[in-house]
Amino acid sequence: MTIEMDRRTALRALTLVAGSAAWAGNVIDAFAADDAVTIGWPSDVPSWDPNQRFTPDAQPIFKLVFDQPLDQDPKLKLIPKLLTKWELAPDGMSLAVELRDDVSFHNGDKMTAEDFRYTFFERIKAGHKVDTANSWRKVKDIEVQSPTKARMIFSSPAPTAPQWLAFLGSYIVPKKYFESVGVQTAAQKPIGTGPYRLVDYQLNSRIVLERNDAYWGPKPKIKRVTFEIIKDPSARVAAVQSGQIDFTINVPVREVARLDKEPGLAAELNPMTRIILIQCRNDLGFADDNVRLAAHHAIDKTALSKAFYGGAAVPLSVVATPGTAAYLPDFKFAYDPKLAVALLAKSGFSPSKPVAIKFATTNGQFPSDFDIARAIQQMWKKVGIDAEIETIEYAKYFELNRGSKLPEATLYSWDNATGDPEIFAGYLLNPKLPFSAWKGQEVGDRMAPLFNIADYDKRIAGWRDLNRFVIEKGATIPLLQSVQTVVRKKRLSYVKYANGWILADKMSWA
Amino acid sequence: MNAILLLVFRRVLVSVVILLIVSALLFCILRLLPVDPAAMSMPPTATIAEIEAKRREMGLHLPLPQQYAIWLGHALRGDLGTSIHFRRSVVQLVMSSLPATVELALLAMVIASVLGVGGGLLLFHMRGRRVCEQILDLASITLLSIPEFLWALFLILVFGVWLEALPFTGRLSSEFQRPVVSGFLLLDTLLVGRPDMFWDCVRHMLLPSLALGVAFSPTIMRVLRSSLLDVYQEDYIHQARLRGQSEWRILLRHGLKNAILPTLSLMGVQFGFLFGGTLLVEVIFSYPGLGSLTVDAVRNADLPIIQAVGLAYCVVVLVINTAVDACYLVLNPRVRVA
Repeated sequence: MTIEMDRRTALRALTLVAGSAAWAGNVIDAFAADDAVTIGWPSDVPSWDPNQRFTPDAQPIFKLVFDQPLDQDPKLKLIPKLLTKWELAPDGMSLAVELRDDVSFHNGDKMTAEDFRYTFFERIKAGHKVDTANSWRKVKDIEVQSPTKARMIFSSPAPTAPQWLAFLGSYIVPKKYFESVGVQTAAQKPIGTGPYRLVDYQLNSRIVLERNDAYWGPKPKIKRVTFEIIKDPSARVAAVQSGQIDFTINVPVREVARLDKEPGLAAELNPMTRIILIQCRNDLGFADDNVRLAAHHAIDKTALSKAFYGGAAVPLSVVATPGTAAYLPDFKFAYDPKLAVALLAKSGFSPSKPVAIKFATTNGQFPSDFDIARAIQQMWKKVGIDAEIETIEYAKYFELNRGSKLPEATLYSWDNATGDPEIFAGYLLNPKLPFSAWKGQEVGDRMAPLFNIADYDKRIAGWRDLNRFVIEKGATIPLLQSVQTVVRKKRLSYVKYANGWILADKMSWA
Repeated sequence: MNAILLLVFRRVLVSVVILLIVSALLFCILRLLPVDPAAMSMPPTATIAEIEAKRREMGLHLPLPQQYAIWLGHALRGDLGTSIHFRRSVVQLVMSSLPATVELALLAMVIASVLGVGGGLLLFHMRGRRVCEQILDLASITLLSIPEFLWALFLILVFGVWLEALPFTGRLSSEFQRPVVSGFLLLDTLLVGRPDMFWDCVRHMLLPSLALGVAFSPTIMRVLRSSLLDVYQEDYIHQARLRGQSEWRILLRHGLKNAILPTLSLMGVQFGFLFGGTLLVEVIFSYPGLGSLTVDAVRNADLPIIQAVGLAYCVVVLVINTAVDACYLVLNPRVRVA
């Protein structure tokens, strides 16, 4: 039998085959989706050594492969993880811990207190280039009392040690494995105790995780998790809209309402423990208290929230987010341009004779950063502050600050997944640390004792007082609680964490 | 054959000199930037004294020529330093990203060549037909004026979002485990005997390479048409017609063979631009090549990576230009004789 095919027939057949292939692909996708999820993530992990770099965006990925000694619930309360008990000594000089005895690493080795000691003490003393060397520099020793009991001993009080056990970089790594294969290999073939194991990784492209069926804790519902590294926000929007990914974050705020109306998609704006603020210097054009306070009174934070975050970003009056321990719900710093003008007049400035300052901002580090700076520049201009905007790279912030090269005001964002006030004001306004542009000793003197108070309630009360003091002094200008944009397939549910964690082990398909 | 070997040998020698000059320029320019690599490589809480110690450890306190000499010594031993951000060997990082970009650029070049040569022949074929010629001319100018990143967005919108026909992120679908043999994924999928994976990889590469290729093809079209018009004024074309050869035969045997030479030269030169264009396209398509690595490096002021990527681009362009010159030599006997 012979088949004669003219050009038109051939084209029709080709169209039919292509159409069938596309349909078949969609059907396969629909079936494949129930035990797998593909997440569009904005950045890659800097390394697979989880102690090495403090990168907030990488934490939700690390938390799938590795476990932390402590965890946080969606409202940020500390909860047990690899530790079953922890007790800070009354003087804050030691922390006694008890570890689970049913935990194994992905290679089958049992996790013990020796691994705890190795992670938080031995590898730091061995000079490994890890950022945890800074967060745990107070650790003088870790006494191992049994395979499940240990005691961290500090060189000075460490009241936030429990919080740090659930924070950046604090993941227990396997001592035996690291020592046998070396740090470099261990970072290329990571082994943790987490609910997933790494099965494929391509730099800047893709991370594929498979459920660890021997996991000691609750088994995740999703068997296979793929992170597609998509750095461009518009590409993430297109990918989720076309169904190539199931979940993504950090899409442009203006896209959220539109995507929420798309059939099969849900989009939302979630406030998180990240704050947007203006870091102030205490010299140059900002040496005068009146000028700094006027700068704060002149900013209409509600208008900024409406213009750039659809009104979802909560205006802040203190350096803390609502729901965290040292937040002051009753303290409001007023938006009052008239008062700003009056304060500036006291110092001899007016709209016709403005005070000149420089205002640094990043461009693209967080949503609408540069536009927020420009809006603030206009608000300031109206009251008599002439701000010249200069753009800086986020990576250079610390270097500029160390060299006293930051200008009077710098638009900045700060992420604190623990919500603890020490990691908000205690870092952002501590003159001894490179995070703080403010070098005035009056704040430093008030703050210093708070680092040594082990009693939780007393410590928090101290930070609450300080939070009010720094605002009244004009040492900083908190603006907004940042929001995280989330777009997902409607059938895919996830758990909302107040700190913005997106954890695939808590996801499930309806 | 000897002429080609001689050319390659000469080119290698010249390339070494060019690489030295480029590396020195890159080194100086990056050191003149207001960025302190020592401070960048330390955690934020590092003290001034710790940063100073790091600066000495990195040799940054030495005069610039001495710093370059040390860097060159390490580079000649295959050590381009450690990434500030990733804290991994720069050579390792670049070598893991380079194959993806080379594959993408080569596929884009193939697409550009097919579209360019095909379009050039069509333009030439339509010469004298006023309306058709003007329409095609307008189309080629329009193609020429649209940059590759706009093509990228357009292709994503049409084939990715509206038609949902082609993937536009990454290099491979998540159900496949990436084979690691040479780093060149197309080659590796064939080496491990997985045609399904090969096809999946091609599908992932189609849109980014189309974005690059389409933007580049009008230049080839227009140069080829213009060359063909020149060639068709030559006596040997008239003589071929007098000998009764068909127009197709004249075109393929005499016209195209001679007209392709300037086009080939142009393609060699333009490949550098096409390779540079991968940077933006890779970011838009989340394609894990040198472009993505460069964007990360710039964002983190990761000078060792920026330096290495600059050199990698330079090496690739030199290799391609040498290859194009060799092809030119093969195709053009006049040059061989000279």
